[in-house]
Amino acid sequence: MPRELFQKTAIRGVRKNAERWQANCYAAQKEQSRNYNTLSGLPVKALYTPVDVEHLDYMRDLGFPGEEPFIRGAHPTMYRGRTWTQRQLAGFGPPEETNKRYKFLLEQGATGINGVFDYPTLRGYDSTDPDARADAGKGGVSIDTIEDMRALFDGIPIDKVSTSLVTCQPICNITVQSMYFANAKARGIPLDALTGTSQNDFLMETAITVAPGVLPPEASFKLSCDGIEYCAKYAPHWNPISFAGYNYRESGCTAVQEVVFTMANAIACAEEMIRRGYDIDSFAPRLSFFFSSHSDFFEEIAKYRAARRLWAKVMKSRFGAKNPRSLILRFHVQTAGVSLTAQQPLNNVARVSYQVLSAVLGGAQSIHADAYDEALCVPTELSSLTALRTQQILQHETRVTHTVDPLGGSWFLESLTFDLEEKMESLLGEIDRIGGIVKATDKGWIHQEIADAAYAFQRTVESGEQLIVGVNCFQIEDEVLPIALFEVPETLAIQEAKLARIRKERDAAGVERALSDIARACEQGKNLMEVIVDAVPARITEGEITAVLKRNYGTWNPPLF
Amino acid sequence: MSRKTRILIARLGLDAHWRGSIVVARALRDAGMEVVYLGNQNPETIAKSALEEDVDVVGLSTLSGNHMILAPEVVRLLREKGAGDMTVVLGGTIPPDDIPKLKAEGIAEIFGPGTALAKIIQFISAKAL
Repeated sequence: MPRELFQKTAIRGVRKNAERWQANCYAAQKEQSRNYNTLSGLPVKALYTPVDVEHLDYMRDLGFPGEEPFIRGAHPTMYRGRTWTQRQLAGFGPPEETNKRYKFLLEQGATGINGVFDYPTLRGYDSTDPDARADAGKGGVSIDTIEDMRALFDGIPIDKVSTSLVTCQPICNITVQSMYFANAKARGIPLDALTGTSQNDFLMETAITVAPGVLPPEASFKLSCDGIEYCAKYAPHWNPISFAGYNYRESGCTAVQEVVFTMANAIACAEEMIRRGYDIDSFAPRLSFFFSSHSDFFEEIAKYRAARRLWAKVMKSRFGAKNPRSLILRFHVQTAGVSLTAQQPLNNVARVSYQVLSAVLGGAQSIHADAYDEALCVPTELSSLTALRTQQILQHETRVTHTVDPLGGSWFLESLTFDLEEKMESLLGEIDRIGGIVKATDKGWIHQEIADAAYAFQRTVESGEQLIVGVNCFQIEDEVLPIALFEVPETLAIQEAKLARIRKERDAAGVERALSDIARACEQGKNLMEVIVDAVPARITEGEITAVLKRNYGTWNPPLF
Repeated sequence: MSRKTRILIARLGLDAHWRGSIVVARALRDAGMEVVYLGNQNPETIAKSALEEDVDVVGLSTLSGNHMILAPEVVRLLREKGAGDMTVVLGGTIPPDDIPKLKAEGIAEIFGPGTALAKIIQFISAKAL
């Protein structure tokens, strides 16, 4: 029996008065003419009262932080017990350069590493590949062999600092995470002492960064699950996957699609792990999520809360999870890069501040605040530092962390949370009917959904319905850029020289053996991370491993338009 | 009767962002143009496809920072193949200092973040006349 929070007679009185107020008082006033919707298109009313949440059952729908349905927070103490991890994304050029930036951020008070890789590394190419040369060191750090991994983390206590490896595509993760683990072993650090996260999301490979000649969805998904399985066996404190809703959102998804596509992905991974013989509670506590914090302040807070409640429901009803930790949705947040403007770039500091605030009010476990220059270049030292300071100011000066889920119980927020959750459940049902996320990707359904949403949003900007300060209002003609831009240090020549030396130095028979071990594991359908962790010390390159994988699994041309 | 304006849209190199190129491609299609969307490609494939598809305009997109190497390469290859009169435009995160250099290399126009779709459509329509 539900135990509703509000008395029926009291609700009747409020409803009557709300209707009276609407008709007599509000309707007599003028509203500015515009659409009052959320960024994802949900209607927003002028005023919310208990009537909007009249069926609220406190214990069933909200409960307490650290308890089912976890909507009020993943942990009982939240930020009173532990501040969110301040994990600023960094990566550019050769590993030796990025190593300096990691150390700089840690010295300045960052509490975790968030390492991003260049485009060739993410797609499984060596820096020297003819198709990759122009992108070496761009958008992230360049990794070709385990030597690069050693240089990247040189002097950083990876047994104490947690590392997020933004190895978006499984074809990258299977090699780069293996290099990270093999490097830890070589430093004498056991895998069970490592804390951190890999991104390792097959949708990143097949839908979010669509490119001809990627691995087919099923193969990419298999590699992703190999990482989950490997960690379940050997690295219990490592989050082997971070469902990259952030990136889905950046590509055009609405808030609802962002959460649902991650969840459908997580459901598929859970089903596959169960098929491989694992109990749900043995791996589910390590599945982690990555969300965007976009510019609709309240919708984002409601989104995080709705996602937590929905996940608890999914894990319980679909999988019968018994360990409470399996029901907890833990997530990292990045402020929405796509909301930043190249025009008047210092305005982005204000945007990012609001976005970090909504992530904190929504109960994020870890946050990257974007730098103000990200619509123009890789962040400079100054812009990275300002982004980190934005988090520190929020943490130490605003006192918003003093109470857990401070907006819980707001009639508007709770109502919006219910509305979003309802939309999420219905979209999740649609993916179920298609046959799950892997099939929905293979058919191109996911691509179409995201492209439609991206185009619909852009048209609201074009029509002026969505105003963006500095872009379609308050522009400055002939603006002189008020900031210095970052220049990526020389990368290709350095990586090329390193690879040439390594190819000369390394033991040819050992290389041959390492690559044929991987090929054999592919043919036998074995877990590839098991083999690749042992193979990378022979200094085989990422490109060499990719070649073996593509030879075995073939390639796929995703639907493009 | 004049034929529809034909435009090829491609993303340069290994850049990962498709949102901008897809949104622009859709807007051009809705404006009545014929759009060939290639996805990620190297300059050689882009130039070859531009000729095969007999397009009026080549639209390149990149946010990765590879533009100074790959965009001029597309122009050079088109010239080499006798299609030097084809208009090549570029969209993405392009630092302001690079814009005059790219124009000197033969890129007709650069559309940075926040460019109105109407402006792109107008520019391409005028070029293709």
